[in-house]
Amino acid sequence: MLALLAQQVPDFVRPDIDWHAAAPELTLLTFGALVTMMDIVWLEKGRKLTSIVASIGLLATMVPIITLAVDGADRSMFGGAFVVDDYALIMKAVFILTGYVVILLSTNYIAEGDYWENEYYGLLLSSILGMILMASARDLITIFVALELLSIPAYMLATWRKRDLKSNEAGMKYYLMGVFASAIMLYGMSLLYGGSGSTLLTDINESISGPGDPSAVVVLGIIFVIVGFAFKVSAVPFHTWAPDTYEGAPTPITAFLSVASKAAGFVALMNMLFVGFFGRDDVYEPVIWILAALSMTVGNLIALRQTNMVRLLAYSGVAQAGYMLAPLAVAGDVPDSALAATVGYLVIYAAMNLGAFAVVIAVARKTRTAEIDDYRGLFHWAPGLTVAMTVFLFALAGIPPLGGWWAKFRIMGAVIEANTAAGVVMGIFVAVNSVIALYYYARIGVKMWAEPAPDDDTAPVRVPVSLTSALVLTAAATIAFGVLPGLVGEVTKVSLLAGVGG
Amino acid sequence: MLLNQFLVLAAILFCIGVYGVLVRKNAMLVLMSVELILNAVNINLVAFGALNDDVGGSVFALFTIAVAAAEVGIGLAIVLLMYRNRRSIDLSEADMLKG
Amino acid sequence: MSDFLRSYLTVAIFGLVGFALVGAFLGLGRLLRPDKPNLAKTEAYESGVDPTGDMWSQSNIRYYIFALLFVMFDVEAVFIFPWAARLEAYEIFGLIEMAIFIFILLLGLLYAWRKGVLKWV
Repeated sequence: MLALLAQQVPDFVRPDIDWHAAAPELTLLTFGALVTMMDIVWLEKGRKLTSIVASIGLLATMVPIITLAVDGADRSMFGGAFVVDDYALIMKAVFILTGYVVILLSTNYIAEGDYWENEYYGLLLSSILGMILMASARDLITIFVALELLSIPAYMLATWRKRDLKSNEAGMKYYLMGVFASAIMLYGMSLLYGGSGSTLLTDINESISGPGDPSAVVVLGIIFVIVGFAFKVSAVPFHTWAPDTYEGAPTPITAFLSVASKAAGFVALMNMLFVGFFGRDDVYEPVIWILAALSMTVGNLIALRQTNMVRLLAYSGVAQAGYMLAPLAVAGDVPDSALAATVGYLVIYAAMNLGAFAVVIAVARKTRTAEIDDYRGLFHWAPGLTVAMTVFLFALAGIPPLGGWWAKFRIMGAVIEANTAAGVVMGIFVAVNSVIALYYYARIGVKMWAEPAPDDDTAPVRVPVSLTSALVLTAAATIAFGVLPGLVGEVTKVSLLAGVGG
Repeated sequence: MLLNQFLVLAAILFCIGVYGVLVRKNAMLVLMSVELILNAVNINLVAFGALNDDVGGSVFALFTIAVAAAEVGIGLAIVLLMYRNRRSIDLSEADMLKG
Repeated sequence: MSDFLRSYLTVAIFGLVGFALVGAFLGLGRLLRPDKPNLAKTEAYESGVDPTGDMWSQSNIRYYIFALLFVMFDVEAVFIFPWAARLEAYEIFGLIEMAIFIFILLLGLLYAWRKGVLKWV
């Protein structure tokens, strides 16, 4: 019996490990462990050091990413489950830089709030580790593990202000929605595994694509997986957690969730669509189309009547997710420009949205709230912040010559290039929604520049150095991407993901 | 064929789980419902793995079990926190954030 | 009727027979046994000691953290068993991999210990 078993098991072949390809993940893992060890040794005495070590860790992780980019070769490990190509490297760089800016936003916020600091940065690093792993994941198991590695620390970070009822509620809603979504996604993955007999995305694509109708198992699997990720990117009708969680969570974490976590959801979705389901665009295109159209319309319409800045940014983020989904709805027709448009939008969105949250954090240092009415007369007591906020809001609205304009232009280009009825209608949706969005972004601008400050309180606000540098970084990126569109165009001219048969 | 029975069982578990998540107001019961869905996933994975004579399904199931344990650990901690602060884990009472 | 449904018919028949048997025996017992209720019989049984408190007692919250730690490390064993079963095949490579895995787990345990979670307060 035992001999029989031994015969059935194939010999173990030691996988070839390309240490250079895995270097970003290993570096970040080392620094994450280091932060934890500092906490174990020094407890709270080391709290001054942790944020410094965490930011050094992120910058150190950039080094192997840059050397891999200079090297330029596509690398693949574990039979194609872990792939490093241009697209993966761009997204890794976005995650690392976003994480760095979030640490800049956090240092004063967390230190002044009397909360645990060591764990905060350790969890932040774990979450970012999950994200950069996600950029390379081309296998159902790897994608699942990466998704949980980035979500589980995020649940804790959203609940960080643990004595605050609002933060509890925010974390609870985020947790329940996130767990439910990942359970649904897992069920879809199990069906896909059953329909194809493999967990590798390339094998799945090979076995489910082809002429003829897809089997019911495959259709259900694809839909469940897309629904699972739609929660992650907060697309309507799976967006309900986003505004509540954003409002209750600590604001730096809100910035992190609305940029990095959303980008990670998009990365996973793009891995799935462009590698796993590539031959099944007849199934996924309509689903994505509906999600995109609903997200931008509903997100913008609800954003019109918000009175809280964070909630407004949450709904605007829902609408932005709709714009980013739009090219994916024509991904089967024009895969190259769809991928480039969405990746380009993600890069620019990261810069402008992080900037907007940086201003919210800076203003809240004085007003202690995020009500839009408190932004009245901001120009009189914080002219620098007003200029920065105007730049970010107009970039989000897509006004030239700021970054958002170029990003939206590329989206329009991709959906029109598809030259299908669905693509053209989607283009109209994007155009109409941009006009609606302009209204609420401009309304804030008017309040900041033209109205008097409440109670004539024009005492200036003290903005710490780290927050200022975060503002300068994001504002510079937002303007640079707009003025030099070639820059982002060149960077995000990613060829189709490595590993697709096309 | 034997596979059908496993898939039907998994589908029933999945439906009960989704129903529980959508209807229940008690945070603990919602957590348990999510566990039902995850168990449906595990049954599916193992059944498909046995059908295809592929060990990948069982490996995936092992990962699901381990990660689900981590997830539930965090979930219980959040429920506990909520109970400490407001003496109730009724989700319909958690309505401070809306608009 | 398809084979698929027919096999469920078998299940249903077995179920019915099961319920009928249990019901019959319990009913028979009820008919035969003497019936003398008194207060002591309805009390909760606590190893012979006089029962204290409510039957619906909540377990102490302190057990939660221990249960959690137990579950975490218990579940991580699912990765160690398959590795142990094929230990020779993996050679030194597998050993190092597992050492890294256990080291990261150990960090978690050390963390819990340093934060005083393992103390019974």
